This record gives sequence, C-alpha cells and structure tokens, in this order.
Amino acid sequence: MTAYVVRRLLLMVPVAFLVTIGVFMLIHLTPGDPALIMLGEDRTPQAIAEIHQQLGLDKPLYVQYGIWLGRLAQGDLGRSITTHEQVTGAIFDRLPATLELGIVSLLWSLIVAIPLGTIAAVRRGSLVDQVATGITVAGVSIPNFFIGIVLIFLLSVSLRLFPFGGYVPFTQDPIESLRHVLLPAIALGTAGTAINMRFTRSSMIEVLNHDYIRTARAKGASWRRVVFVHALKNALIPVVTIIGLQIGGIIEGAVVTETVFTWPGVGRLAVESIFNRDYTVVQGIVLLAAFSYMVANLLVDLVYGWLDPRISYS
Amino acid sequence: MNRIAAGIVVLLFVAACGSSTGGSAQGGTPKKGGTATIALESELHTLDPLDSSLLVEREVFYNMYDSLFTIDPSLKIQPGLVTDWDTSDPMNYKFTLRTGVKYQDGTPFNGKSVKDNIERYQTGANSRRKSDLKSVASVEVVDDSHVVFHLSKPDATLLATLVDRAGMMLSMDAVTKGGANFSLAPMGAGTGPFEFVEWKRNDHLTLKRNPNYWRSGLPYLDGLTYRAIPDVNAILSALKTGDVDIARVIAPKDVASIKNDSNFIYKDTPAIGFNGFELNTGAPPFNDPAKRQAVAQAVDRYAVLKNINFNIGVIAYGPIPPSSWAFDSSEKIYDHADVAKAKSMATGFTFTFKTTSDPVNQQEAQLLQSELAQAGITMQIQTEEFATYEQECANHQFQACNVNWSGRIDPDGNTYAWWHTDGSFNDSLYSNPQVDGWLEDARTTADESKRKQDYDNAQKQIVQDAPYVFTTFGVSAQISNTKINGFVLYPDLMIRMAGVWKS
Repeated sequence: MTAYVVRRLLLMVPVAFLVTIGVFMLIHLTPGDPALIMLGEDRTPQAIAEIHQQLGLDKPLYVQYGIWLGRLAQGDLGRSITTHEQVTGAIFDRLPATLELGIVSLLWSLIVAIPLGTIAAVRRGSLVDQVATGITVAGVSIPNFFIGIVLIFLLSVSLRLFPFGGYVPFTQDPIESLRHVLLPAIALGTAGTAINMRFTRSSMIEVLNHDYIRTARAKGASWRRVVFVHALKNALIPVVTIIGLQIGGIIEGAVVTETVFTWPGVGRLAVESIFNRDYTVVQGIVLLAAFSYMVANLLVDLVYGWLDPRISYS
Repeated sequence: MNRIAAGIVVLLFVAACGSSTGGSAQGGTPKKGGTATIALESELHTLDPLDSSLLVEREVFYNMYDSLFTIDPSLKIQPGLVTDWDTSDPMNYKFTLRTGVKYQDGTPFNGKSVKDNIERYQTGANSRRKSDLKSVASVEVVDDSHVVFHLSKPDATLLATLVDRAGMMLSMDAVTKGGANFSLAPMGAGTGPFEFVEWKRNDHLTLKRNPNYWRSGLPYLDGLTYRAIPDVNAILSALKTGDVDIARVIAPKDVASIKNDSNFIYKDTPAIGFNGFELNTGAPPFNDPAKRQAVAQAVDRYAVLKNINFNIGVIAYGPIPPSSWAFDSSEKIYDHADVAKAKSMATGFTFTFKTTSDPVNQQEAQLLQSELAQAGITMQIQTEEFATYEQECANHQFQACNVNWSGRIDPDGNTYAWWHTDGSFNDSLYSNPQVDGWLEDARTTADESKRKQDYDNAQKQIVQDAPYVFTTFGVSAQISNTKINGFVLYPDLMIRMAGVWKS
C-alpha cells in the first residue's frame, strides 16, 4: 500500500513537468503583451523595452522556461508580473475562499444528489424519479454563470435575502460566511448535483439487481436497511470517481462562479491573470490545478479500497 | 484600462444627459462618522503612484495621497501641498510649500521630501513616471518650505502633471519600511484625508480617517471600503442591494432607471476624455486620406450618442472636450452624417474594425457598420480579447481600432501622445509637420491664449486629416444612494471623498 502511494506520488513529477511545458507554451504563444497591459495609458517605447528586459521577455522562450523551471525546483514560483506579490502568497491568500466555496458546493450537491438519486432508483418511473430526471437535465444544461445571475437577481437584488457577492472568512464570522457562500455554492454545485444524482441512480439500479440484495431481502432485512446499508455503499463507487474529479476540478470550476459573485478566490485570480497576461501567476495556478487533480485521483483510488474490500493495491 | 480601450470604461458614459451639475454639492449640515463603500470597475495592481497605470488606482490615490497641486471642478490649477508658485521664469519654477503638514506616519512634509519623491519617480526601476517628469532637470531645496524645479526645457504642462501621480508626495520612511511590499501595503505613506488599513486583493481595500489631516475638520467619514466589481451589471446589482454606496460607472442603458429611482442620486458633468476609433494611416485602405475622410463624413455621431450612449454625453468634434479651456466650439468639420458627400470622397472599399467583446462596443460597431454601408463602405467587425486587441492596435496591425481615451487635465495630454509624429499613442502612424509644430509650441509656451491658438490649429488639421474619427465625449458621474452628501463632481472622473458625508 505505502509502496503504491509512493509510486503514484513519484509518477506525478513527469506529469507535472509535461503540464508546465504545455502551460508555458500556451500562455506565451497567446497574443498580448504584459508590458502594454501594465503600462496602460503610460506606455512609451522606452518603458515597454525596460519592462521586457526586467521580466526577461526579451530572451528566447526556452531560456525563459529554463529560468522559471530552475526557480520552481527551488520552490520559488516567482513574483506576479502585475502586482509584484509572491505568486505562492497570492495563491494561498485566495485558497481558503475557493476551498470554502468548493466544499460547500460539494456538500450541497451530495446532500441533494445521493438521497434523491437513491429514491429515484428504488422508485423507478415514479413521480419522484421523473422530477429527479428533470432536475438532472436542467442542472447539466444550464450553465452555472446563468444560474448565478438568476440567483443574484431573485434572492439578492429582488428579495434581499442574501448579500451580493463578497466573502467573509468562516473563521471570522461563521454565520455571515455561510450567508455569503450559499448562493455561489448553489450556482457552482448544481451541475455536480445533477451528475451525482444520475450516477447514484443508475449505479443503484444495477446494484439492486444483484443476488446478494435478493439474499438480504430473503433473510428478512427491511427495504430501508437493504437499500441504505447493503446497496448504497457498493453503489457509491462510480459516484466517488465522479466526486473525485469534481474535487480536483474545484479550482477551474470556480473560475466563472467566482467572477460572477466577485468571490476573491483562486478562480478569479486566474481569470484576471490571464487577462493581464500575468504569466507567472497563471503558471502557478495551473500547476496547482494539475496537482490537485492528481491528488484527488489518488485519493479516489484509495477510497475504492475502503468501499469495496475486494479492491486492493500493492 | 488606461487606454480604456474598449473596456468597461467606455461606458464612462459618455456624456451628459443634459443634467450637468458639475461641481455642486448637496446641502445640509455635514455629519461626522460612518463609512462608505465604493465600487471600482477593475482590481488595482498597485498602491504606489510610482508604477501605477490604471484609472482606478488614481481614484484611490487621490484619497490617500496629496499632490503638489490640485484642480477645482472647472479644471483650474489650485494649491495643494504647494501653496504659492512663481512660473515667470520658464526654466525655473519656484514653489512655496504648505507648512505644518505631516505624513500619516508622523514624518514631516518638507522641501527635502519633495526632492526625494521627484527623484524616486525619475529613477525608480519600475517607475512609470519617467516620461511625466522628463522636463525636470533637478529639484533644488531652498529651505523646508521652498523648492525650485529646474527644467531642461520649458514645459507648460508641468503643473497639470504635478496634480496627478507624478506630484503625489509619499513618506520616504514609509517607502523604505515597506520595502518590496510597499506597493501592496503603503502604511502611513500619504498626507491625504484617508490612510491605508488593508488590501485583500479581489475582495476589498480599506482606508481609515487620517485624524491629523491638515484640512481641519476633514474628512467626515471614518473610513472607505473599495470593492472591485468588474462588471457594470454587477455594479448596478451591488448598488441596489446596498452593498456599495457609490459607483462611477453603470451601463448607459441603466442610467434612466437610476435617475428615476428616488433611492439613488445620478448627476454628471462633461469629462475630459474622448471616444471614437483610430484609422491606420500607414497601410491600405486608410493610407488614402480621402477614404479616412469618407468614413468620418459617413458616421452619424448623433445616432451613436442616442442609440449607444442613451444620450449620456455630447457629440465629439475633436480631441479637446467642452470641459477644457482649450475647447473650440467653432470646430464642427464633421457634424452631421452626409452620405452623398462621403460617397463623393471615396466609396466601394472594405476595412476591418477591431473591438472587444464588451456589449456596448459590439452594439456601437454594428451601428457604425450599418451607417457606413449606406455610403458604400463595407466594415467588417473583428472582435478580440482585450490583451490581443491592445497589442495589435499598439503595433499598428490594424485598419481601424476602437480605442477611447480617459483624458488628461491639460489639452497636451489629449493631443501630443496621439498625433505628434513621435507620440507614444500614435497607433495611426499619423505624421504632419505642421501639427507637430503646433503641438510642440503649445507644450513650451506659457501664454494660454497662444497655446489655445496652437490647439485650435492642430485640432482642425487632425480632424480634417481624420487619423481618428471622433464620436462622443463622456461624462464624469455621481451614482450613489441618497445617504451620500457633499459629493463634488470633477471632470477628471476621480471621486474625491474628503468632503463627503453620510446622513
């Protein structure tokens, strides 16, 4: 088991390496000049040349990549081109907001999806099933920024039930924090809710047809016990895969939602940095996103073993 | 944003609604206390005037730092940290400094401080102020309250330059203490009405009252919170929910509803920038002056003002707006659209118009497209992401580019950089020796009437040659809830909060 984890962790290095090359090339080959963005109305040819020299943008691309990689190897992601703050600091400052949004939206999606998906599977074809299917189609089809705008308009601007945007750290004021996070979390979590519900339903239907369920029923176990104790745990394996991907995707999923709700998280930082051609920050964020995907995948694999003891790693 | 290309600021509403009340503040007895939240239409990059390049940064700076000079709502130069000035010798400007002023960190403001600040702006590694202060050869400290600016060449624009960031005075102690992070947390660095507390980027920036502010009794508010909300519709939502008290920009389409809502105050005054689009004189088809003139003649500015800007603002005939002392009301070379005349100049050609995806810019592009089609000119719209578009326009890789200008206090700032042969914003590659001569002369002449004559001449020639097609002038607006009192509108778009109070 330990050997397996270590091997997986080591495998992340070459993957991360390939990701950095991809990101570096992609952002540097995109048209747009950070010097022009930084100088704005104060651009003069001398000032542009000075910035290019300061940032090393006048060097060939492979040299720039080499310098960046060298610093990365020492754990230094550099300083932001636009604000001069440490990239690591800039990302970690915003990470709590993104994590809070991601966790609440995930919880929201699980609280709704798993019970509803289970009921829909048990009562196939019933009204509950049809409503659940309707919600799924709508949830997957409507983009989260649109859900966000509708929620803001209805619950924030018209009914004044929730504040508009902004972030209050959970550690500072838990109640206010939840009031602020709820709308963006619902907007962000809706697509996940729909997908999780659908997976729970189909996986549950499959599990309920297995022999051991019939055996459990024959032994006299109640439906409730059969469904929630015997079937659900086994039905969750595909759901866990999807959730794992959703955890890994918190950062990039939040990009749009954070912008709509002016949420000061990593997603908004990413958007702004791309617009500003803030190469160092974009590279830092993509590296983090890739890393969180890889870790989430590893965790998912480990959770499989716990959910289904027949799966083991060596 | 600076070159507010086609960014949000385009909407800087462009103009006036006819309800201009520039300069007037509401009545009542000012009350102390409370805080105000102000929406910014983009996040700041820095809190140091040294490397600042955004309009929103200047807006915050004016409430933290004092400049050597200030302006009044009619754009006239007024005393700031300089109380008296003698510019009779065009090579040596003598300034008398305000005495008894302390920075928020307790260090004194004096002649040495002025010298240190100017030298920091002139030599700092990241300084964007070098070109602003190019004409300043050295600063001589006579005593604590007197300095002389020795110039390398006469510069009629210097006082206006010292109103803005190049004239903002910072405590050198605070700069040293702040080190590499000074631009993120300038603790106690200014002499202004409010001082820095914290900046949580992408969330909020907080300032608190400077209890030792030299203008006695001011400011009224205990503090200010700035929130960056990079979407005009979201800014409107935040105003309506009460999450912000004051905004500078909302979409032109929403102005009428805010004006009719008794919970809000909307006022505006003509601003100092201009809107329109530039034509590349260095490449076909617009290397042919007749084709540029045909476009300028075929554009219906009144339709742009009415349909795109919802009549907020006024028609622009040239680069110098009505708020400026150098405005020429007689210059109306391209007033109403004249399709027949345009056709007689040139017709039957095609060009590409670059703009950004901002909805207002898109609508404007479509309107222009249909107007030009009537004159037999085919305009293709090319929508680009901001950074790409800015790079291509700056590098002359365009035929027409939709770029607006936020404007500068002195008319030099609205002309020289754009249409002098060596101008840093001369994307159009426009070059006319006569225009160069007028613009250079206006820069170095102290006599205002002589300068006005230069600008009148230059403006007529630029408009006639049409390297840029002017459409509208924007407005500077107060958009707030009714609790906000004492707000004074300035044409330079800056929201100055020292005299604002909350009821």
